[in-house]
Amino acid sequence: MDQLFKLSNFSKIAPYAQLFRQGLLVTVLLSLFTVVIGFCLALILALMRMSNFRPLRFLGIDKDGHQREGGALLAISKFNPLDFLATAYVEILRSTPVIVQIFIIYFGVFSMIELPNFQLFGFIKFNRFFPGVVALGMNSGAYLCEIIRAGIQSIDGGQTEAARSLGLSQTQNLRHIILPQALKNILPAIANEFVVIIKESAITYTIGVQDIMSAVNAVKGATFVIIEPLLVATAIYFCLCFPTSKLIAYFERRMSHGDKR
Amino acid sequence: MATRDDLIQVRDLKKHYHGDKIRALDGVSVDIQFGDVMVVIGPSGSGKSTFLRSLNLLEEPTGGSILFEGIDITKKKYRDESGRTVKLNIDELRQKMGMVFQHFNLFPHMTILENMTLAPIKVKKMSKAQAEEKALALLDRVGLKERANDYPIQLSGGQKQRVAIVRALAMEPDVMLFDEPTSALDPEMVGEVLDVMKGLAKEGMTMVVVTHEMGFAREVGNRVLFMADGLLVEQGSPEDIFEHPRSPRLREFLSKVL
Repeated sequence: MDQLFKLSNFSKIAPYAQLFRQGLLVTVLLSLFTVVIGFCLALILALMRMSNFRPLRFLGIDKDGHQREGGALLAISKFNPLDFLATAYVEILRSTPVIVQIFIIYFGVFSMIELPNFQLFGFIKFNRFFPGVVALGMNSGAYLCEIIRAGIQSIDGGQTEAARSLGLSQTQNLRHIILPQALKNILPAIANEFVVIIKESAITYTIGVQDIMSAVNAVKGATFVIIEPLLVATAIYFCLCFPTSKLIAYFERRMSHGDKR
Repeated sequence: MATRDDLIQVRDLKKHYHGDKIRALDGVSVDIQFGDVMVVIGPSGSGKSTFLRSLNLLEEPTGGSILFEGIDITKKKYRDESGRTVKLNIDELRQKMGMVFQHFNLFPHMTILENMTLAPIKVKKMSKAQAEEKALALLDRVGLKERANDYPIQLSGGQKQRVAIVRALAMEPDVMLFDEPTSALDPEMVGEVLDVMKGLAKEGMTMVVVTHEMGFAREVGNRVLFMADGLLVEQGSPEDIFEHPRSPRLREFLSKVL
């Protein structure tokens, strides 16, 4: 009599409910911090990618002080090191597995940096939690960068022209005209990324972050029950992600009709 | 030679793309004096918009010079890059040149009042109360005072363009540049925008207007430029241009549009 799960096994794991509650809190905190760090990083990366920083620009100007109209020097003069660095970062982070990145951050970077050994809320090990947030934040920063960049580029060029022709500087234009419009447009995409992060954060149990997955492992080790804790974890993740994406879809619909220029 | 009345002197202005393959502007020279209402006409692709947009450096010219109030705004940009002391402040320059676009380019996330007070507050460091008072007075002038707290989406095309004009005026520019201000409007709204522009011209505002409205060119302009293929083909008074066209290119153009 093969069954996927036994009800009796659920009563076996019931005493460990506290572990799941703590895991839920860790997962939510992890995702929130990750999305905040990822967003700030992404904003910087996106601005780097779109910057107009060309230190070799003088090579593109001829003796008479006018812009060259072709040739190798013109090509070199257009080199933007900020754009290059940001693009390299984004492409590397998007083309390697998250688990590899997490291991490199945890076993590599944070083996050299000593983290204080204390516990948040009395049970979250900071020296596990923090590297997890950093690794996930760095990863989602790469994805969010492209979202933000697309958002900024979706704003009509006429907006910048109008702002600049009124005498606003590039920074003022970005702050008062472009970003407010771009952020509103990409809010649904950012919220979707949040759902993705909730699910991806499960991988941090491999470096000992006590999230929902780590609760599954602890219960498994203590009771030798395997499927039932996994089903509990499934239910928790679903209850986190499904309402969130439904909520996003609702706001997306509400925002789509309404303002068009 | 430069006289006191010269506001903008354009010399041999060029804008080439892809090497020399595309010549949007191929050597245009013209003087714009205080109080001029200069109307630029010509077939599409003739370079008239590029010419206008070069005046406040929304397009970077690839050759020639533009003297604005005695300062070569194309050259000083270059000097700035090579690290010499003279620094052209492009933002300061643009404050003195109001610009009105074909597609209005109002800021959709701000109310009409916010659209109008943003630059005076942020750039001219005017107090909010002062900027708002001024904005309301300007809106009143174009009959839109009661729309101050509406968003651009709630306005018709003609109303949007009137707001765009007074938004530029709020910065008290020395010259107003109009880039086909009525081309995106429904026909019945063209008049209300042209009326505002006529009013401005009467007050003595220096204006450069790229337009397809030949009636406006004839009635309001004191000088008309005819451009084709990136060249300034003919210029003169409206009478010269419309009644006594000399070049075959202009005659051909007029025969099509009049």
